[in-house]
Amino acid sequence: MKRLFENCLRARIMRKYLQVIRITFQEYFVYRLNFIFWRLRAFIQLLVLYFLWLAVIPQGTTIFGYDQAKILTYILGTSIIRSFILSSRSVDVAGEVSSGVLSNFLLKPINYLGRWLAKDIPDKILNLFFSIIGVSLILIFLRPPIIIQNNPLIIFLTIITIILGMILFFYLSFSLSLSAFWTPENVWPPRFLAMIIIEFLAGSLFPLDILPAGVFKTLKLLPFTYLLFFPLNVYLGKLTLQEIFIGIFISLFWILVFWQLAKALFRLGVKSYVAWGR
Amino acid sequence: MSIITVKNLKKHFQVHKKEPGLLGSVKSLVKRKYETVRAVDNISFNINEGELVGFIGPNGAGKTTTLKCLSGLLYPTSGSVSVLNYTPWDRKPEFQKQFALVMGQKNQLWWDLPAMETFILNKEIYEVPDEKFKKTLTELTRLLEVEDILEVQVRKLSLGQRMKCELIAALLHTPKVLFLDEPTIGLDVVMQKKMRDFIKEYNRRYKSTIILTSHYMGDVKELCERVVVIDKGKIVFDGKLEEIIKKFADHKLISVVLAKEIDPKKLEEVAEVKEFDYPRVMISVKRKDVSAVTAKILDKLPVADLNIEEPSIEEIIRELFTGKNYA
Repeated sequence: MKRLFENCLRARIMRKYLQVIRITFQEYFVYRLNFIFWRLRAFIQLLVLYFLWLAVIPQGTTIFGYDQAKILTYILGTSIIRSFILSSRSVDVAGEVSSGVLSNFLLKPINYLGRWLAKDIPDKILNLFFSIIGVSLILIFLRPPIIIQNNPLIIFLTIITIILGMILFFYLSFSLSLSAFWTPENVWPPRFLAMIIIEFLAGSLFPLDILPAGVFKTLKLLPFTYLLFFPLNVYLGKLTLQEIFIGIFISLFWILVFWQLAKALFRLGVKSYVAWGR
Repeated sequence: MSIITVKNLKKHFQVHKKEPGLLGSVKSLVKRKYETVRAVDNISFNINEGELVGFIGPNGAGKTTTLKCLSGLLYPTSGSVSVLNYTPWDRKPEFQKQFALVMGQKNQLWWDLPAMETFILNKEIYEVPDEKFKKTLTELTRLLEVEDILEVQVRKLSLGQRMKCELIAALLHTPKVLFLDEPTIGLDVVMQKKMRDFIKEYNRRYKSTIILTSHYMGDVKELCERVVVIDKGKIVFDGKLEEIIKKFADHKLISVVLAKEIDPKKLEEVAEVKEFDYPRVMISVKRKDVSAVTAKILDKLPVADLNIEEPSIEEIIRELFTGKNYA
């Protein structure tokens, strides 16, 4: 009986976040044209990257130990998974803090971090959906030489590492946004700077293992490689099971760190929050 | 029984000051001067269950800051606050489910979606059971006459319609304590009246405790028995509304439009002139002398138009702080 009651209670709490998800979806669909253009942009970006690398590495050549198929898979793969790993609605947290919209949520019995986590779900589902369409189009019409992973265990582990990457980026991005509590007028410059560094260190420009061994070893201890480079290498089958589990362990560690950091920053920030204009 | 207890509440802000001009801007890059603003400076009061209290005071007096402290948005510099036996800034869900803050100039409605979506979201956030939600929603929409606009995108609503929907969104969980910060701002007179009637009705029907701030004397006059006057972060008056009107608004204003130009000296003979900007004259008169002075004006001056007005709330308060002591 008590168990049943607790379950009901939990269901009620989940319903808040479900409604947040539903509303976010609806918001996306309000402006159809905006929605279509945004997806079209992502698709064209994908095409440009694809043709660029196809030209850079002709068939039969290898570059830094990557043959054409591997590098194309890496490049296509990163641009796909970055569209839902390195994208989080939590960039808008800064705006809510500096404009005072945050007040609306501080007044209500809802967890602010949880709300943003919920808001990311529709965003990622849509991005994933349209990425799959984009990639399918490329696969069908261009028949590129890429590596298709067919080991179910590896595919499963890839999905796990992608999910970890998303959670890690969420807390990282959330923490960045919270700087708005202290410098409300200065939100975008630090974020741009941070994003450039993050994208580079995450391996969105080139595979990181072409860097000197010492540098690469250090990078593996930092959180950033676990956003893109690591899940992709799991997919490409370049890592042993042991390496994969060590990687998962390190990303879990960083998730914990950034989760606690985001919570602590939020607690501190709310104390100095002045709710200007609201 | 006290529902709200405020004791020695202080809230000070650090505000950065910039000298004017480009040079000032450059200087402020290197070294910033900060100044402490005492937005709320040691105030104490109690409010009982079911009371409807008006907070009045000029802009920047500290009304909104006080409400923000009571809502748990701001951490006070010092002092203690208890609302429904909770400390607001702990932001306990059990507390948050029992109160609401409505700010007339701000919105919580989802701009791009119909108001109904926000209502459903709030229903889930406040964990309102389906039955109760339906009942409250029907009641509120009927009282505010907005049954037919709930499905319209919020951005397409008029200010008045939006304000009504804002109120509904804030009241769906039937809060026991309600803070209204200028709920009638920007509304036309008809809408203002409806809003007031609604607030009164809500207070009566749900026995809720309400604090209201407003710049419209009309709001306060019609709704609040008790008023708290705040200025420069301090409470300067706390008591019955009639007392404050009797005590501080002891005069009326007569505004006259002259038909032709006359010697200002002649004006002075008739009454105490506050402002003279031909053809308009503003005359301040003691409440009891209104009819006598009006008669004199009509008799002695070439009058095209004449109006007798209550001094505005701002004026009463301004007068309160210029010369008079309010002890």
